[in-house]
Amino acid sequence: MSRAHDVIVVGGGVIGSAVAYYLSKKGVDVLLCERGDVANGTSSSCDGNVLAIDKMPGFDSQITFESQKLYDRLETELGHDFEYRRLGSTLAVEDEEQAVTARDWVRRQREAGLPMRYLEGQEVRDDEPELARDIIGLVECASDSSLNPMAVVFGFVLAAQRYGTTVKRFTEVRSVVTGTRGEATGIDTSEGSFAAPRVIICAGVWTPALAETVGVKVPITPRKGQILVAERTKTIGRRKLMEFGYLMAKFGGAAKRKVEPDMEKYGIALVFEPTPHGNFLIGSSREFVGFDTVCSNRVNTLLARRAIRFYPAIKDVKVIRSYAGLRPYTDDHLPVVSEAPGVPGLYVAAGHEGDGIGLAPVTGLLMSQMVTGEQPVMPAEPLRLDRFQKNPVGTTHSSGS
Amino acid sequence: MVICRCEEITVADIRQAIREGATSLTGIKRRTRAGMGLCQGRTCETLVARILAEELDKKAAEVPCSSVRPPIVPVTFGVLAEEPHE
Repeated sequence: MSRAHDVIVVGGGVIGSAVAYYLSKKGVDVLLCERGDVANGTSSSCDGNVLAIDKMPGFDSQITFESQKLYDRLETELGHDFEYRRLGSTLAVEDEEQAVTARDWVRRQREAGLPMRYLEGQEVRDDEPELARDIIGLVECASDSSLNPMAVVFGFVLAAQRYGTTVKRFTEVRSVVTGTRGEATGIDTSEGSFAAPRVIICAGVWTPALAETVGVKVPITPRKGQILVAERTKTIGRRKLMEFGYLMAKFGGAAKRKVEPDMEKYGIALVFEPTPHGNFLIGSSREFVGFDTVCSNRVNTLLARRAIRFYPAIKDVKVIRSYAGLRPYTDDHLPVVSEAPGVPGLYVAAGHEGDGIGLAPVTGLLMSQMVTGEQPVMPAEPLRLDRFQKNPVGTTHSSGS
Repeated sequence: MVICRCEEITVADIRQAIREGATSLTGIKRRTRAGMGLCQGRTCETLVARILAEELDKKAAEVPCSSVRPPIVPVTFGVLAEEPHE
């Protein structure tokens, strides 16, 4: 066994690398272990969103807003360009029934302090000229942004290394090791054992299996999301656009979307994301199919249809690739950023579903404050792992973003 | 010298990515965009593999291929959106 570190972070995706960065910045001696290369799992097969627009007003939108504030200065702080662009984001409103809900949604979000407004009529055409003519309104959130997710991970890791973090890649963590009182004392890996009085599991969809090695239950389920990559082309849409109808269906507040049954079966709802390189991404499906990441032709067809419905000009643009990743889903759509009950010194930061990129900075900061005993940047009670014991899984939502 | 023409990535960019930890074609791609463009690495992949092999002191044949995902050739959204013909 090598020398002991202060903290071992398991997982070199966006969450683990953010946790390692914020901890080592405070002078904590961190060992980061990752099974493959860093940015290799979900963080390499997602899109790059920092979105408050699709969050419930309240804790969900506030924690995102907190993360956005950290992102605003992060490129400078890390000394790393990750293509951060704060262009705002929009939700497309398809009919009058949605418009009524959308105006109310904007009002509630504004009351919660978010920079949101409702655009209609000519304002919609001026904002996105290529949008289908029957889109009657747009919900806009000005503070939302896009970025390159893999570049964020590389930025966090390189900066953490400068602050003294030891990074062990191609090192698979097999189990958490505990001491005589049941407390975490380190990890056992494919490259030997490592000791630390604190272990933080940041392994996304692979978290439950590792936590289970010390009897800790973490109810995270992999949810597959498939995305299309378009060629470089003329501007189709200038910023992020999603479906208002899908968001409302997700929160159970409105009628079902008027779409063919397979769109619901595969959880297809448009996420249009332009990149700074002149191309764009089209997401996404949402499926519970275990750890399968094979790209399905049927889903690609449905994604293409959904893209053309909102941006008709897309039909002549070429698709160059598809990819699929596993979003770490929790039943209440909130991540776990928490101590692990029953195993002193063990922590979990995982389960962000589609918001891992967006919430990585606030997660890293909160976890670093939790470990060092500082005052948290915001209260993190809703993110505690033991909330699932109080409210058994499987009783709330059945769908989500 | 430009190696990936689609994304305009130079040999210096690729060497920088290797210094920052890339050990595979995928690792290079994620750090630089080499191979992310229209041709999906068809043109540059062997060149990138050679640079990797040189820098890591391996044989080019020991550098694993990158992953291939559909569509195998670029296809328009319009064509993809149609029902598949039997």
